[in-house]
Amino acid sequence: MKECKYYFDKISEYLDGELGVNVCHEIEAHLKECPECRHCADSLKKTIQLCRETGKEKVPSEMRARLKSALQRCLNENPCSK
Amino acid sequence: MQTNSFTEEDKIMSTLATDDTDHLLISQFKAGSMDAMEKIVERYEDQIFTFGLKMCGHLQDAEDIVQETFLNAFRYLKDFREETKLRNWLFKIAARVCYRKRRKKKFEPDRELSLDSFVTKDGLTSNYEIPDLSNNPSEQLERNELKQIINTSILSLPPKYRFVFNLRDIEGFNTKETSEILGISTQAVKTRLHRARLFLREKISEKFKEGEAVQ
Repeated sequence: MKECKYYFDKISEYLDGELGVNVCHEIEAHLKECPECRHCADSLKKTIQLCRETGKEKVPSEMRARLKSALQRCLNENPCSK
Repeated sequence: MQTNSFTEEDKIMSTLATDDTDHLLISQFKAGSMDAMEKIVERYEDQIFTFGLKMCGHLQDAEDIVQETFLNAFRYLKDFREETKLRNWLFKIAARVCYRKRRKKKFEPDRELSLDSFVTKDGLTSNYEIPDLSNNPSEQLERNELKQIINTSILSLPPKYRFVFNLRDIEGFNTKETSEILGISTQAVKTRLHRARLFLREKISEKFKEGEAVQ
């Protein structure tokens, strides 16, 4: 029987679906038996979801206008397709 | 009589990593279209801005990163052979811009996150409380506070872990793509990502508990 530390090291790869079928089955069997590792996996999964859900930003409109004119000015001065 | 059903154009297309829209916009840009340039910016500016903001934490720095990324991209787009996706190429440029900016500003030095620091003496992990947004989607204030907690936590990651976390978990690049963008091994991506997530779980849980205690 492997120690919890073995599964702890692999939990991110497991959540990302980057492990082979056999290792996944092994981890799932361990998670059923071990509440501490189950909490570890669940809380890590929630952390990733939370960061993804709140992570995206939008360029503010005044910044968008500045960016557009800076790019146009620069490319007019140094046309790169010629 | 046609002996080969593949045209030259088909052969070229099959070796391109860019999608049809990007391929068309790149061709139009190479032919001198400013409209194509604007469309490329529209497609990717929010993503590059998110990356810049989460890497350095300041609006002005994020704006500089977006601007320098696109200026560099359009300067060299005529030589871009479309062997990688346009998005990946842009992020490779953006990552380099961030590195340069960090060096110039003498940002905080990189430090290692040890896996052992996330394991308690008597067991594997503490009791973490991670808020669940899906339980309470209408609370805009709570959402904004949470976003603040998350952004501060991401910014407190040592830079080499922050690069990997932002590319993998915020931008959604896979392990191989992230390794190519940053020029590190896939194993390094996996190791850094795992430690970054453990670090963030701890930070977010701590700050969430503090917030709960204050209320």
